[in-house]
Amino acid sequence: MYIAGMGIVFNRGRGLANLEKALIEGWVMPEVAYRVPAEAITDKQVLKEARRADTFTKMATLAAFDALIDSGIPENSKQKLGIILATAFGPHVTTFNFLDDILTYGDSGVSPTLFSHSVHNAATSYIALNLQTRGPTLTMTQFADSFHQALILAESWLQEKRCDYILVGSVDQVGKVMEYICNQKLKVALDGKIKPFNFSKTPECVPGEGAAFFLVTNNLKYNKYCAISALPQNNQKEADLCILDSDGMCGNEELYQKISNTRLTSYAPIFGSLLTLSSFSCLAAAIILKNQKLYASPIKDNPHNLNILTKNETFLIHKINCLRYNCYQEGLVIQLQKGDA
Amino acid sequence: MSLTDIAITGLGAISASGKNIPETLLSFSSGKRNGGPVTFFKTDLLYPVFQIQNFNPPKSDTMRSLNLAIAAASEAITDAGLINGFGNLRVGICLGTTVASQLNDTDFYQQYRTYGQAPMNSVERFLKSNLAQALGEFLKIRPRFCTTIVNACSSGTDAIGVGLSWLRNDYCDLVIAGGADELNRVPLDGFGALSVVSKSLCTPFDRNRTGLNLGEGAGIIVLEKSTLARDRGKNPKLFLNGYGLAADAYHLTAPRPDGSGLEQALVQAFKEAGISPKDVAFVNAHGTATKDNDLVEGKVLARVFGPEIKFISTKGFTGHTLGAAGGLEAVFSCLGLRDGWIPASAGFLNFDPEIGIAPVNQKTEINGNYAVSTSLAFGGNNSALIISKHPALI
Repeated sequence: MYIAGMGIVFNRGRGLANLEKALIEGWVMPEVAYRVPAEAITDKQVLKEARRADTFTKMATLAAFDALIDSGIPENSKQKLGIILATAFGPHVTTFNFLDDILTYGDSGVSPTLFSHSVHNAATSYIALNLQTRGPTLTMTQFADSFHQALILAESWLQEKRCDYILVGSVDQVGKVMEYICNQKLKVALDGKIKPFNFSKTPECVPGEGAAFFLVTNNLKYNKYCAISALPQNNQKEADLCILDSDGMCGNEELYQKISNTRLTSYAPIFGSLLTLSSFSCLAAAIILKNQKLYASPIKDNPHNLNILTKNETFLIHKINCLRYNCYQEGLVIQLQKGDA
Repeated sequence: MSLTDIAITGLGAISASGKNIPETLLSFSSGKRNGGPVTFFKTDLLYPVFQIQNFNPPKSDTMRSLNLAIAAASEAITDAGLINGFGNLRVGICLGTTVASQLNDTDFYQQYRTYGQAPMNSVERFLKSNLAQALGEFLKIRPRFCTTIVNACSSGTDAIGVGLSWLRNDYCDLVIAGGADELNRVPLDGFGALSVVSKSLCTPFDRNRTGLNLGEGAGIIVLEKSTLARDRGKNPKLFLNGYGLAADAYHLTAPRPDGSGLEQALVQAFKEAGISPKDVAFVNAHGTATKDNDLVEGKVLARVFGPEIKFISTKGFTGHTLGAAGGLEAVFSCLGLRDGWIPASAGFLNFDPEIGIAPVNQKTEINGNYAVSTSLAFGGNNSALIISKHPALI
């Protein structure tokens, strides 16, 4: 399965240029959480149909749209285009706004618009509407490995020829209530720094939000970036670089000490802590493979003296693993490989 | 691909019609409808709902949707002869839901809103209740292929479709698939605000229909490769042959008026199954009893299958169980084929000339080997499953 196009909306803005800029710049102090700036989701043209939609939907719609445009697949391909969206918590901000309505106005005074947008699959509906695609669309939710499962399903649909192209991605949000929950349940870093190489039993996190989408296909002609594949659990094949998703969301990170890769990095301190961080790490990996350039780890705290990336440099690189240990302590690897793997 | 490749070896269902399949079939046979007022939570709304009464949850301190899933899954797994465990089988779990995916506890939010803080009990409960993950934990397995589908009203159907993909791609030997959803204040208020809820018991496809009733339940099937089923001594009689999924790309809540999304899903399913509409013995329609859904769906059924097609909506017995609907209706389609009869489409009385066809209005004998189950969802998802029995194998 090949990556033909990519799109991102995150705390540094929208688009791959902003992603590259962030990878070069490194860590920036967040305002409590890594939130998407309002100006990143104000495209009047693309969001015309979604102008009444919530932030969750707008992030998803823009990232998916950008991935499609980036891919350059022909217009008539849209009839064979599917959409798979993975999320951990869905549009919870809208759900809480709806609960606000219930508590303020009573059961019979609630907003139908709010309710419609609180449904998890509203975002994929808007993506399909915006792109006028009639192929299969599906939203899935998981805490343990949602983006991993989404990739597996994408591979499966392409194998079955259910569609020829798939927009597969993830979206998650951090609203005020979720920020409160994170403060109660997790250890939020007071200095705003996720330290991905500490491999602590009680790691710190900084909640993040955003949308990351890939347009994938089995058609080698559209291999713009690299091949991508979700490997079986606890299967860490050799790679030139391993990007870690040690972002403090899944508890004890001591298992990351088992990694045997020679070269490591983590871009969690750029994106923030998300259960769907893997999709963002994969975006970074694809950029690295396309540009043949390594980007320094944004946080370089390295108590275990690992071989982490410390500078931006041109480098010949062929294969990258994106690794996450989930809440079951399973090692989930997504492998990206340059060339017609 | 052979039509008997993927077998359905276990069925489980719980809804207001019955806490298991035998009870459900009794209700279907007698035409008994268990709709009534909401008693599970306080609400100003007087819409009738289909609550499951006297349900003993198998697991404490967890969301009701998960307990419903466990109940139906337990029945299905027992039916499949797997009560002693799965051994070395590669098992997948794919379940659909809506309510269980949302952190929509009103008490929690009220406390947070009022005091700026709230106890974490309901958050803990939510985090332990991602349906597919949590069912795996209950069954003491940790499948590599495990996900929860949140495609609104077609979630259960789509979860089964995902399970079919996993099996065909040889990712798993066996999949537990379907859907579960509990009755909840949020969708009741939401659908009420959209003016699609009826103040009386729903009447799917009826000329005078006034909207849906919400319900709750779980419908789960066990899917496995037929070769595996035979190897372990099961003689499968029911099979899953096709799945289609297509988007309307039209509107967030209303179906595309020309029904082309549903038609596309049906065409895909027929192509996968290698059959044509004339081979179909009956259709278990989505049939929510809203003006829009039944009109669009009814017209598509007439166009695709012709005026003589036997079809029903079982939502007159269960209410609209949201994420569970597709799972329940797949089970009911299996039962129709297996037992050779379908119930009256409960609530239907008056032919609607705008639709042009009518569901069966009495218990009806079924002769034929194929059934179709259709689902139309919020957001414009359209899904179809094709299920078969093979008399040579009975």
